[in-house]
Amino acid sequence: MNGRAASDNVVLRSLAQIGDCGLFLLTLLAAVPRSLRHARETVRQVWFIGALSLTIIMVCGLFVGMVLALQLYHVLSIFGGTAATGEVVALAVYRELGPVLTALLFAGRAGTSITAEIGLMRATDQLAAMEMMAVDPVAYVAAPRFLGGLIAMPLLACVFCATTLLGSHLVGVSWLGIDNGTFWSNMIAAVELRTDVVNGILWKSLVFGAVVSLIAVFQGYTTPPTSEGVAYATTRTVVASSIAILALDFVLTAFLM
Amino acid sequence: MSQRKSYAVGTGLFIVLGFATLAYLATQTTSVANVRLGDTYTVDVEFANVGQLKERAPVKVAGVRVGQVKSIDLAPGKEAADVKLAIDKRFDKIPEDSVATIFTSGLLGDQYVGIEFGHARKMLADGGRLALTRPAQQLEEMLGKFFGAGGAADNLGGTYTVKARFSNVGALSAGAPVKMAGVAIGSVASVQADPVKLDAVVTLAIDRKYDQIPDDSAAAVFTSGLIGSQYVAIQPGGSPDMLKDGDELVLTQSAMQLEDLIGKFLVNGSPGEKKPGTSPDASAGKQ
Repeated sequence: MNGRAASDNVVLRSLAQIGDCGLFLLTLLAAVPRSLRHARETVRQVWFIGALSLTIIMVCGLFVGMVLALQLYHVLSIFGGTAATGEVVALAVYRELGPVLTALLFAGRAGTSITAEIGLMRATDQLAAMEMMAVDPVAYVAAPRFLGGLIAMPLLACVFCATTLLGSHLVGVSWLGIDNGTFWSNMIAAVELRTDVVNGILWKSLVFGAVVSLIAVFQGYTTPPTSEGVAYATTRTVVASSIAILALDFVLTAFLM
Repeated sequence: MSQRKSYAVGTGLFIVLGFATLAYLATQTTSVANVRLGDTYTVDVEFANVGQLKERAPVKVAGVRVGQVKSIDLAPGKEAADVKLAIDKRFDKIPEDSVATIFTSGLLGDQYVGIEFGHARKMLADGGRLALTRPAQQLEEMLGKFFGAGGAADNLGGTYTVKARFSNVGALSAGAPVKMAGVAIGSVASVQADPVKLDAVVTLAIDRKYDQIPDDSAAAVFTSGLIGSQYVAIQPGGSPDMLKDGDELVLTQSAMQLEDLIGKFLVNGSPGEKKPGTSPDASAGKQ
């Protein structure tokens, strides 16, 4: 895992990073059964990664729903189709915005803290100390955080989608006066359980959760043990996660829809 | 230990919350949603055609929402849809002979059930039935009524055929109506291209009732409205001789192309091109 030293060439360096990351994923997966012995640690990570992200997820979801309803209402009123606002909000959020925005927020809120935490453990030789004590840092530090992200992300995406509907309902029905029944009936008629909720929210957010957690843990685990290195790794977590989320979103949409 | 407990409880709450929202999204906002009803009573209505009416669509009296559509079913062996309306208990003074109609909000809007009150003394009760209904208006039928395009002649007395040549028939197709004074008197039997004269030969089947059409009448391809379908309009001439089976209409006006029309507007009314067989009033462009 010393790909960074391999070359100064950006392309080669990125390739080496991706390769290292893939190998690290295998190590991580191999360590998952062992890490289940520290299940309490995984629960703690779900708390830190998931439950503490609820505030930002819910506030952002609320505003995304509100602005979507506001924008859609004015465009749809040109065609006399304001009743479709709920339907369009739900489809847009379930299929794209929900998982993608949650994942981006998740990378910013939880991914960075994972990277910084593990990175500081690396910088302060805590990981080396664990190895000395015959405690596998991958199983005890990395895997619980990876699993925590994997568990938290779909749940956060669901909460995000629900608050988005709440926001759009607030603006659309309570403020702009779309009929409540039409708002819901159009949405219900348009949204399908399998394609939208399962393929849209669940699968996408599960994949995004895995990718963001993997990148965050990997960047922290392989950071150069300096304060500059930790800062750099944290930045790279956000950049790489964002790119991976948006690129994967396209691929997943092509496959799942 | 107490701190450990607190995050364990919090994590549990978070997971429960996540799964609860998932259950909500999966059941309440998708097609398999259960319809939860408040304090309502149910009324049965039978419609010949529900159009695009959906469950939970509003039920309105005088344009104000009083309930929603509970279910839409088709009873086997019947050609009418059974619609159950859940109406708010507050609005329990609906006469039994009221008329239920499926309306559309706007041209492209959603459909809802409108109830127009009758005069009966007896009021609707739970499980009651509105016998008088009007089905959903299909857009095609409405346009047809507006422009008469849908109402083909009944052809009771048989038809006779007349040919007309057009340099351009636009989107005219067989089956399109032939109208005189806006009333359908027949239909287009066939539209064919003449391989020699390189124009379109349209065969018109006109009802035998209308056998008093002067043989110098003009035929024109018009469009019903801006987005309507095309039809052949006969503009009667002044000749004492009448059209017979197999005759040909000499004066024709081809279909207006939108591009031509715009061109005519832009060059201030002077016709850009003279088409052979164009009738004198063709450039009026008032259609």
